[in-house]
Amino acid sequence: MRIVVCIKQVLVLGDEVEFQDDGLDVDPDYLDSALNEWDSFATEEALQLRERLGGEVVLVTCGARESEAALRRCLAMGADRAIRVEATGRDPFTVARALAEVVRAESPDLVFCGVQSSDAVQAATGTVLAELLGLPRAAVVTRVGYDEDARKVVVDRELEGGLLDRVEVDTPAVLTIQTGINEPRYANLRAIKQAEQVEVDVRSAADDGMPAYRVRRMFVPERGEGAEMIDGSPAEIAGRIAAIVKERLG
Amino acid sequence: MARDPKHDILFEPIKIGPKTMKNRFYQVPHCNGFGSEKPFSQAYFRALKAEGGFAGVATEYCSISPESDDTHRMSARIWDDGDIKNLSLMCDMLHERDALAACELWYGGPHAPNMESRCVARGPSQIPSDFEFLTYAIEADKDDIRYLQNLYVEAAKRARTAGFDIIYVYGSHSYLPQQFLTPFYNHRTDEYGGSFENRARFWRETIEMVKEAVGDDCAICVRMSTDMFLGEAGTQLKRDCLPFVELVDHLVDVWDINLSGIAEWGEDATPSRFYPQGRALPWQAAVKAISKKPVLGVGRWTNPDMMADAIREGKLDIIATCRPSTSDPFLPKKIDEGRLDDIRECIGCNVCISRWEIGGPPLICTQNATAGEEYRRGWHPERFTKASNSDNDVLVVGAGPAGMECAMILGKRGMRRVHLVEAQDDMGGTMRWIPQLPGLGEWARIVNYRKIQIDKLKNVEFIPSMKLSAKDVAEYGAEIVVVATGSYWATDGLNGASHAPIPGADASLAWQATPDQIMGEGKQLQGDNIVIFDNDGYFMGVSLAEKLAEEGKKVTLMTPMGHVASYMHFTLEAPNQHRRLHKLGVEIVPYHLPTRVEQGAVVAAHVYDEDGHEKSFAADGVVWVAQRRSNEALFRELKDSIGLEQLKAEGVDALYRIGDCEAPRLTADAVFSGHRLAREIDSPDPSIPLPFKRERRMVDDASVAMEKAEYAAMYAGATAS
Repeated sequence: MRIVVCIKQVLVLGDEVEFQDDGLDVDPDYLDSALNEWDSFATEEALQLRERLGGEVVLVTCGARESEAALRRCLAMGADRAIRVEATGRDPFTVARALAEVVRAESPDLVFCGVQSSDAVQAATGTVLAELLGLPRAAVVTRVGYDEDARKVVVDRELEGGLLDRVEVDTPAVLTIQTGINEPRYANLRAIKQAEQVEVDVRSAADDGMPAYRVRRMFVPERGEGAEMIDGSPAEIAGRIAAIVKERLG
Repeated sequence: MARDPKHDILFEPIKIGPKTMKNRFYQVPHCNGFGSEKPFSQAYFRALKAEGGFAGVATEYCSISPESDDTHRMSARIWDDGDIKNLSLMCDMLHERDALAACELWYGGPHAPNMESRCVARGPSQIPSDFEFLTYAIEADKDDIRYLQNLYVEAAKRARTAGFDIIYVYGSHSYLPQQFLTPFYNHRTDEYGGSFENRARFWRETIEMVKEAVGDDCAICVRMSTDMFLGEAGTQLKRDCLPFVELVDHLVDVWDINLSGIAEWGEDATPSRFYPQGRALPWQAAVKAISKKPVLGVGRWTNPDMMADAIREGKLDIIATCRPSTSDPFLPKKIDEGRLDDIRECIGCNVCISRWEIGGPPLICTQNATAGEEYRRGWHPERFTKASNSDNDVLVVGAGPAGMECAMILGKRGMRRVHLVEAQDDMGGTMRWIPQLPGLGEWARIVNYRKIQIDKLKNVEFIPSMKLSAKDVAEYGAEIVVVATGSYWATDGLNGASHAPIPGADASLAWQATPDQIMGEGKQLQGDNIVIFDNDGYFMGVSLAEKLAEEGKKVTLMTPMGHVASYMHFTLEAPNQHRRLHKLGVEIVPYHLPTRVEQGAVVAAHVYDEDGHEKSFAADGVVWVAQRRSNEALFRELKDSIGLEQLKAEGVDALYRIGDCEAPRLTADAVFSGHRLAREIDSPDPSIPLPFKRERRMVDDASVAMEKAEYAAMYAGATAS
């Protein structure tokens, strides 16, 4: 059983934010970084499967050298190997393309991603990756059961309104893992120290594709006039919303 | 970060008489245990507040004569040239930091026990003190009155020489000038007693004389209590205080307005248990409404919005603090820099005050372990040196107050990695539930402040819900291990009175409980009659009595001591706590120790009854607030079972314990213990505190020769009789 977990070192905003002079990004002085919260759950889920079934957990991230901190955090939790794809693009298409090549070469039984990253919050990379790899995928997974004989996973997907969808998926497959699926373990200092000694396998990515988007300008939106709270039955609320939309569209 | 514009008003300069304060933050007179006898401790303590942004900083009450000697309590003194010299150090250090220095001239009258000077004080009438046992004053005649007023004038001149900018003619807390104003103290029938004009005469004349003597150089401040809560006999706002403001407003440069007399001065230095922030504001605003001079006032201010509102709404001109400035000397600076979540807010526990009340020891602070340690240990609350062994990783086991403090300070000292590991799902230890006791909500600030700080420290990681065995600790991978596993309440009645368990005591039974079980685990006792046995003597027994009585139980609070919650006399919580217990119908049984306990009854005997007469107290349930014991199992296992040698083989170079895990103590002392270890983590042996500087007279050959010669000369011509 080989599980590849795709993780991300996310950027964390401080209390105050300033933009770069070119207006294209946040000034790095106002940014901190951390392992994406979802990815610690994805790693934990992979580790638990490995503990049950044997095999290995391989971490892959895409980013500059600093993003190895996230890899080492997950290595300290117990992952076996780590690969960093040297790439600067941060949009889901570019990242997924960079990941796809490395993931494919690992011939995994399962690929885990977090549902989304806390900085970009687009929830797209996992799905794009599945598409590029030609694998089935299930998103927002809150339970993973593995049927060894059938080589299938049975997963619960979280839907809107508190609904759960239980589906069977052939493997290999890409699952995007939701927070709360487990309790990610803490690494003790010894494991952290050992993880520091692990050599991270660095690959380069030749990317010639189009990004999902380009940043033209970053700015703080102007303050609106405030919100209108709409009370009433669903039909009344819908009616009022329709009226507002019509009014605003002229 | 930048200051919030709504707080700008706090940073506007203000003129007081011939002086100008650079902003609206002021530290009113408050004791710290240093007086003028420990000038360096005094000066460093006050100067740090100036460094933190306070624009004016006062001494504690400063005695003007040996007739007003408060020994055993520690006041400042400005009796002679030596005192001028010692206090001038404080003035210099304040001036170097752009702050004004204030001196609170104090004469205690009948409250001064004069235990060191052996003088006798003078006062308006010969009625013994309501604050101090066996203490009477001379009933002052006219000559005495002139003598007293001259003491103020001469002391004011000495204060000016020392470098003070603001001179108080201090009346609040029932001291001499206000004794004359107050019928409770003043029973005179001459022109210094009776009518308002007569009662006000002593104070008015004294202010005039002090103003005349030093008013061109110094600002004159009058500190007045605007309600003593003594009914007709006490000073009252409308009858006495507002007319007094009108009478002398032209002589005064700034008013310091507060509440209470001395016997219940917890009405002024309000414990958070009973009063919210800004409690005196209505009285302060009443003075402000009729005075043309700036008004300053205390209110346990920690919330800058409330401070700014008080000024904006014209209720106060200057925000005065004692306890919040001790809890966080950098309160103004942090507001100025918009760092509101870095403010170490006072919790209003009054443990600082308790040390003054006890008489002698330096003040301590639950929130700020560095308070009082500025000079003698060289601790700065906001600055930290990088530890010389900062390449080590540290494991702190237990996230109660001591463990949190230790991890936080180790983080600030730049240790490579600090892991704070806690068995429960959040930080706080017993301080998670203590703030849920009646009235103690503000105590949650102990946990909240540290939680926020720890969250900001990148080298400190909090790990919840992880109970570590000794083996886990040994193999954790830390070079330094700190055990901070706290303490628990004894379940068998073991106590410091009998030094033995109490027969029948067993909190594993459904009808008996300890504080941990009731508050931490939610254990409920059935039945109506609950006996609480309290030999702790502080807040736990009375707080549980209050809680259970509020829940409808009939509570008997039994103690072998003469009072319940004796320590609350020192924290000024006792009077109102007694009022609460009385109102709730809690029966208080002092001087009684249970001899045995059975379901339905606690059998107890009077501690001084040698004939052993026993009395039975109905008890459906019993609560043991008997004593605490350290949770030292993990430490013992690490040290004794695994052993230091084996730990070393695992890479653990050092093993320490802190806080209640060493020995149960006040939260302030538990926090101090964690802080101390972190400050000294790179000392030769961090388990032993480094010596602190002691301010004392040192004997040397020259002084010995001089003293011996003086002694010999004194009796040279004397004969034995």
